[in-house]
Amino acid sequence: MRLLAPLAALALLSGPALADYPQAVKDRLLPGYAEFDAAAAALAEKAAQSCDPATLADPFNAAWDAWLAVGWLRLGPVEDQGRALAISFWPDPKGLGAKAQKALLAGDQALLTPEAFAEQSVAARGFFGLERLLYPAEAPAQDTCPLIRATAADLARMAAEIDAAWTGGYANVLLTAGEPGNTTYLSRPEVRQALFTQIATALETLKDQRLGRPLGTFDKPRPDLAEARASGRSARNVVLTLVALRHMTEVLTPDAPQTLAAFDRAILLARGLNDPAFAGAASPGGWLKLQILQQSVDFIRQKALDELARELDVDLGFNAADGD
Amino acid sequence: MATRRGFLAGLAALTLPVPSWADAGSPDYLAAGKTGDSFVLYGLDGAGKSLFSLPLPARGHAAAAHPTRPLAVAFARRPGTFALVLDCRTGEIAHRLAPPEGRQFNGHGAFSEDGSLLMTSEVVAEGSAGRVGLWETRGFTRIGEWDSHGIGPHDIKRLADGRIVIANGGIQTDPGDRTKLNLPDMRPNLALLSADGALLDLAELPEDLHQNSIRHLALTGTGVAFAMQWEGDAADPVPLLGLWSPGTAPILCQAAEDEMFTMQGYAGSIACAGGMVALTSPKGGAVMLFAEDGSYLVTHRRADLAGVAPLGDGFMASDGAGGLWRADQDALTPLAQEAVAWDNHLVPVGV
Repeated sequence: MRLLAPLAALALLSGPALADYPQAVKDRLLPGYAEFDAAAAALAEKAAQSCDPATLADPFNAAWDAWLAVGWLRLGPVEDQGRALAISFWPDPKGLGAKAQKALLAGDQALLTPEAFAEQSVAARGFFGLERLLYPAEAPAQDTCPLIRATAADLARMAAEIDAAWTGGYANVLLTAGEPGNTTYLSRPEVRQALFTQIATALETLKDQRLGRPLGTFDKPRPDLAEARASGRSARNVVLTLVALRHMTEVLTPDAPQTLAAFDRAILLARGLNDPAFAGAASPGGWLKLQILQQSVDFIRQKALDELARELDVDLGFNAADGD
Repeated sequence: MATRRGFLAGLAALTLPVPSWADAGSPDYLAAGKTGDSFVLYGLDGAGKSLFSLPLPARGHAAAAHPTRPLAVAFARRPGTFALVLDCRTGEIAHRLAPPEGRQFNGHGAFSEDGSLLMTSEVVAEGSAGRVGLWETRGFTRIGEWDSHGIGPHDIKRLADGRIVIANGGIQTDPGDRTKLNLPDMRPNLALLSADGALLDLAELPEDLHQNSIRHLALTGTGVAFAMQWEGDAADPVPLLGLWSPGTAPILCQAAEDEMFTMQGYAGSIACAGGMVALTSPKGGAVMLFAEDGSYLVTHRRADLAGVAPLGDGFMASDGAGGLWRADQDALTPLAQEAVAWDNHLVPVGV
């Protein structure tokens, strides 16, 4: 792969594009952030008109779906100002988000202005903040409408900022890797390595957090810890993340058939669960099904670390992959 | 400068040549790394330029630099069965150190100020009880050991006044394969020993942070800054930096809320310079700077950043892609890049 790099660069300029990361940036990431921006804006617009959970369900789900297409990538503008954390603050085992929202509901309304709200705890904001307001476990004591509006507007602000930062600069940082003046990426292989690391990390998070938390142990399953349980999106978030990662892998290289096949198997299993909030983890049969899905995600990661890494000529990092 | 002392030293050097770091090109740092399939130890100057490169027989962990003689002690990775004393002028292995039966090196070592004593962090292989191995440095023979007063000691540092601080990481490991055996019950500490090994003070973490393994140390004006690795729930945003002045309770330093998971619960190396503390995370791909009072300053991102050491009033940091960087409050600026994957630590020479 590395030896062929100059040829690949030529091919990109001339004929049919050889799969590589510039194509991933142009075909997947830039459109992905633009779609998230549009969907978050649509949600905020709707929330400005109505705070009715039933009315907001569709745009809320559409925005979250759009986020999942790119949400696995923790690189660049999403890392600035804690945006990714604020958009998707989970897991939250100490309930920091709910506590912060309680304070906001009881507190000064001035905290809900866009400028002030952007400074509030990352735990209180984003999709999980909205989910707690739109799908409350019990009827709220206060009027949550102002907080719903503030949260949706804040989400749209972050989505727009991320989109603008990608189109206005960060995409170019990736595309000009190795060129004079680019001090973020000193070569193109560094970008490939960064994207690969993101895929591997996202798979690990899927396995350990989104699937591992509700699984708990066979003797003590914890379906109550499933992600996005209130909105019934636990399985959907897993499926959409797997689909996004599969797309990315495919665009990075056409030559990782075993990794792609492992993705396909896991996606099939996840779609076939028929258990939107992983409530089934409470029963032995449901637990085993979820565990099989978890194993299939781990298998993708193993294939990626072997086949995809070899194909892209990258690894997880000399130190990052090694405990000290 | 032609002082009397300098003149006498010069005279002594004529009659009895004592090799110094100048004979090895006066490196500012030692850095272990991997190039191709080979392991190497580099001497680097403050611009990141390579002054020498010596072969290592296997992947090393940290090195300890003799204060005056051009000797580097390269420790094997845990569980360490050997350490090598390298003559940095020639690359020759001057001495091979093997821990006594039933002991293992645990990654780090420190010299006494005059260089006559080498202290190595070690564990009793069965159970990981900590020891400080003592070696004289003429022939590098074993002359004794102290209790480290904790489990799984890792870094060891000598304070300016000669006292010793040991980071007892608290983790009991399998003697054969580094499997961690006691995570639910681990209890790290910082031990302060006198120059002759007597326990002077011991600091522990609050109960809810007992799974925060204290692993690496850097000297501050009044004690040490310490870097931790979190073995508890990854969703807990715990502090990874602490400051300890013996006689007081450790101060724990949180990152800004926006950056509370950036390090992924793992701080790799630590250094103090210019009134700041730098903490790297290869897992998180970042270097984070704090003021010396523990307040958070800034985060710079770069994949696989691991080594960090003082560079003027800022820092030099190294990464697994061969990059050497200057880190200060404003930016992370590239200094140099070698075809070497730099390993965990950058070790300052002559401090």
